[in-house]
Parts: sequence; structure tokens; C-alpha cells
Amino acid sequence: MNAPASRILALGAHRPSIEVLEAGSGPPLFFLHGAGGIPIWEGAMALLAGSHHVYAPLLPGFGQSTGLEFLDDQLDLFLHCFDVMEALGLDRPYVVGESMGGWIAAEMAALRPGQIGRLALAAPVGLWRDEAPVADMFGMMTHEMVPLLFHDLNCPAAQLMLSLRELLSNKDDRSQEQIEFLIGMARGARTAAKFLFPIPENGLERRLWRITAPALIIWGDDDRFVAPTYADIFGQHIRGARIQKIPDVGHLIAMEQPQAFADAVIRWGSAAR
Amino acid sequence: MKVTWFHLMPYRWLPADFPKRYHSVWVDVPNHLYDPERGHLLYNEYLDMLEYADQVGFDAVGVNEHHQNAYGLMPSPNLMAAALARRVSNAMILVLGDSIALYNPPTRVAEEFAMLDVMSGGRLMAGFPVGTSMDINYCYGQNPATVRDKYREAHDLIIKAWTTREPFAFNGKFTKLRYVNLWPRPIQQPHPPVWVPGLGSIETWDFCINHGYNYSYLSFSGYKRALNMMNGYWERRAALGAPANPYSAAFFQQVCLSDTDAACEREWWPHVDYFFNKCLHIYPGMAEAPGYRTEASLRAGVVAQVGNVSANMGMNKTWKELVEQRYIVAGSPQTVRQQLEELAKSLNVGHLGLGLHMGSASIDLVNRATQLFAEKVLPALRPIFHEWEDHWWPKALPADKRLAPGGANAAYERRRRTGDGAEVRS
Repeated sequence: MNAPASRILALGAHRPSIEVLEAGSGPPLFFLHGAGGIPIWEGAMALLAGSHHVYAPLLPGFGQSTGLEFLDDQLDLFLHCFDVMEALGLDRPYVVGESMGGWIAAEMAALRPGQIGRLALAAPVGLWRDEAPVADMFGMMTHEMVPLLFHDLNCPAAQLMLSLRELLSNKDDRSQEQIEFLIGMARGARTAAKFLFPIPENGLERRLWRITAPALIIWGDDDRFVAPTYADIFGQHIRGARIQKIPDVGHLIAMEQPQAFADAVIRWGSAAR
Repeated sequence: MKVTWFHLMPYRWLPADFPKRYHSVWVDVPNHLYDPERGHLLYNEYLDMLEYADQVGFDAVGVNEHHQNAYGLMPSPNLMAAALARRVSNAMILVLGDSIALYNPPTRVAEEFAMLDVMSGGRLMAGFPVGTSMDINYCYGQNPATVRDKYREAHDLIIKAWTTREPFAFNGKFTKLRYVNLWPRPIQQPHPPVWVPGLGSIETWDFCINHGYNYSYLSFSGYKRALNMMNGYWERRAALGAPANPYSAAFFQQVCLSDTDAACEREWWPHVDYFFNKCLHIYPGMAEAPGYRTEASLRAGVVAQVGNVSANMGMNKTWKELVEQRYIVAGSPQTVRQQLEELAKSLNVGHLGLGLHMGSASIDLVNRATQLFAEKVLPALRPIFHEWEDHWWPKALPADKRLAPGGANAAYERRRRTGDGAEVRS
């Protein structure tokens, strides 16, 4: 049973409507996706659903979620994610986020520390060092991003992303389905840009000390998109944080090594503090 | 028809292997390629070209804004317009324009345009571009998902600042000002004509039509390839009940002009090659930041959005191809005249933005073309569309009320010579 259930969560007038992907049973796990959304469930997400009840809301602009216009700034975004958590009836859940979603999860945990049970951040953005600039996801072509996102360019996920190149450059004979796929990609990228353009840093570092949830920081040791040195900075500022660097993996840990990603997240979910 | 002599102000000395060795002509083109002493020469020569266009009778001179761009050396078009306001005496001045969402607060645009309008005696056409994604997102860091809202707010603020005679408070989403109170305010009433450059989105057409602004289509790919887009504009005007007044639209066309067709290719090809193959060497990964285009425009043009930006921009084409496909209008005065008449009639545009400088062209070549155009082409274009009224042209002070540079000094000298000192002191 791999396919998740999908439902639309209407948060009310003048607020977003959110598609929530849901699967598995066990303790609740609130998953916040990265700037690429959740392109496939099979793999890491399905593995997480083997031991947790996974709730994966899609941000406005991703999947069938709408209402980006109701989120003006980053604070709106973080509060929106709490709204979704509350609408799902989750109390102090285990929050897992990757890349952009890891940043959102960290901000939420700093904003309302009492409402986050546990925390796992997979290569989150949100910090900045001039000597290790985070790659510009808004200023390069998809196929140019791939070598920065993966350790092994031959892994299926990397090959899938590289195959988009043809779709992106072939101009004349696209099917309606392909057009919708491209529009969907552009819509998701717009959401990411709204909160992260041009530099994905907005003061998170000075808020990290507020986090009280037991936090795991996961990083690929060959992450060329967001350098592993950022793992140490998160570790320094979040009290009691555990850092786990995974060998031979790039930025998209869940995509490139789903098993290692799921193992780390699941083990942390069941660890005593 | 009216013709504006429009300058892009490119840098003329990009190396021969520029497209191979460098990423892009824009955004991250390293400035060690720019020699400021040569830049001194360029600014002066380029202003000379524009001033010469005024002397030989062009209707207007035009400048625009680009950032971190080796083919557009005017990060501040207002500085150029200020230099022109003093030295260009008859021609109108088109600033196309200030990317209004970049100015903080946008009242800066209202102020500087008002200064230009007052300095020039009411000769300003005020351009309000959104700006390219390279300029406004990648160079100036504006958020692509919100910059169009910011643009509209800036527009509302500028127009209100120009037309309100008492201080007012402006509580916008992007700009909050307790006291807006414009000093100076423009000569032209209610404000200088507004021109909006666009690339064919319905939203921009509607914005122009609903506000009564000129819509300018700035293209490097020539008038033949613009036909569908301009037809769309005229259909949209008709749908909204606006007359098909040719002066409500402008089109930018690059033109190479020599004494004969054969001489034209010989004299201009190196500069055309320089422009299309170096100046348009633009990195597609920064052509459009995510969210820069609305979803409606994206849907209408999904092809262009995600495709290769330079495919249609005339790179790697021969002189013959560029001329036949009318990327450029090129040849003798007769050839150019005939093709520009065709441009005017097929697109129905009353305002021609004329790109008569090309890439690396020298001032001698350009001034010769300017002179030829004024003598042998302009007179044939002027009568076209004479039956229409141009509501998008500056309402300048009459020429005899406009002051010339040095006029007050001349008056002082005159009085000093006649010994009438009392008047001088007052």
C-alpha cells in the first residue's frame, strides 16, 4: 500500500485550501516538503508511513493547494503551518522537514516551542555564511541544479530530474498533461521564491536558541547545494541537537537515499530524549 | 507618425570570444570587462548622438534603464535625461523608463520625473516599465512573486503624488509614508504622458488601455514577428471599447542606414553581429525568476516561458537572414523608408522607437545614418496617421517660453555691458 490518501483541507474564508497527503498508522509525523514539493511518495515517504501516521500538507502552489495570496510574508507562512497542524488535530507532533520545509519547521519550533514534540531537519536552508553561499535555486536551469543536488548522478531521482531537460526545452509538441506539469512546477517555484528569494536567510540563526524540542539535524556529507558546515551551525545553536551526517549523499537525501533517510528519521522518532 | 531616436548605450569593446568565455551579457558579466576611461568616451559620444538627432529634427530622444548589463549602460536613465534636458532644445524626452518598483520610496520617481519635466519645459514622456526579470529580480533583488503588486502600488502612489495639491498620507502594503507632498510638481497637467513598455501580456494591455497610457512593444526581433502580438493589442482595445488610435502604441525597431543597400551590409554587419551575438548573449537560467510572470501569461505563452530565451532573438543568423526576416530594417534610405512604411501600416503604430545605433557602431557611422534618416526617411513617415490626434505626446511649454542653457548669463552680460547694474542685483 504505497499511494497516500489525498484530501483538501479548507482553512476558511481568506485563508488557503490545502491538499494533505496522508498514509500509515502509528504516532503522528507532520512532514514539511522542500521547494520541489513531493514528486514521489514511493521511497522515503512510504517508508516513513511504515511506522508513523504521516501527514504531508502541500504548501499553496504545490499540488492542489491554493491561496498563496493569503500569505504575505514569512510569519504568515509559519502561522499557516500551525493552522494546518491544528486543523489536522495534531498535538505536539513529530515535525520533519527537508530543505525549505526544514527551515519552516525550525522557524515554527522557535516561534511556538511548546507545540512541537520532536524535530528532524534534513538539510534545512535558513542560514547564511558568505564563505559557503547556498546555491541559487532561482537562478539556474533544472539540469544545472542536478549535480549540486545529488552525490550520484546515476541514481534514479537524478536521472528523472535530468530527463526534465528535454521537456523544458522542447517547445512545440507538448501534451496538455505536460503543459499542466510545467505550470505546476512554475507555480511551486513561485511559492518557494515568495519566501526565499533572493537569499534564503531571514534571521533564523538568532531565533534558534528558542527551540526546545529534541532536534535531529540530518545532512548529506556531499551536499553541494547547502554545505554540510551549516549542520554544525544548527547544532551549535539548538540545545541538545544531534547531528547525523550521511555518507555519499547530496542535498536531496530522501530522494537519493530513501532508506538511510527513513532510518534516521524513524530512529529519532522513537528515541528517548 | 512620430519618431524617437532611442539609445540603448551598449559597451563597445566586449572581447571577440565573449559568448564562449562568459556566462551572460547581463547580471553576472564581470565588470573587469568595463574600462571606465572608454566609458567616459562612450557616454559623451552617445549623448552627442542624441543631441545630433535633436539638431536634425527628430521628434524625441529616448533612454531606458538596465542594470549590470553590458549592452545597456544606463542604470539611471534619469541622469541621462537630465543631461539631455539642457542640451536638447526641440525634441521631446522619452524615459522608458524608470522601473518604478525599484525605487524606494517610489515618490523618488515622481520627484525626479517632475524635475525633468520642469527642467525641460514640459517635454517629458514618463515610462513606467515593470522591468525585466534580470534587472528587477536578479540585479535588484525584488521578490518575483510580489513585484507586480508592488509595481501597481508604486504607480498609484506616483500618480496621486503628481495630481494632489495638499500633503497626504499613503498607507500601502509596500510603501508607508505619513507625508507625501511633491516639490517640485510637473509642468504638464494632470501629469506627463505615461508610456508602459510590455512584452504582450493581456494584463499590461488592460492596464494601459484602462489608464489611457501608451503601450510600447520593445523588441529586438523586428516588426514582422510582432504582428500577432500587436494584433492582439488592437483586438483588446476594441474589446474594451477604445479606439484604434495608432498613437496609443509604440514599437521599437532597429535600423541600419547607409547610402546604398550594398554599403549598408559592408558598413553595418560588424556592429549587427556584435549586437546579436554578444549583446544578446543572455543566460536562460536567469531569463525569468519564478513568479515573475503571472500564471495567465504563463499559460498563454508556456512555450516562451520555459524555452530557450535566445532562440528567437536573432543569434547565429546571417546578415541576409536578419534583413529578410526584418529583425533589422537595413539598407538605403529608399529601402528603409519603404520597410518602415510597411511597419507603420501593418502594426498600426504611430510611435516609432528608432534604434539607429547598433552594437559597436562608431559615432561617424551613426551620425551619418541619423542625417540620412532625417533628410530622406523622416519626411515620408511624418504624414502617416495625420488624421489621428496624439494624446500621448508631451504638452510642452511653447518654444518661446522655454529657456535655453546660458540664457540668464547672456542677459547678465548684456546688462553689464549697458551698465544697468540695479537689475542684476535684484
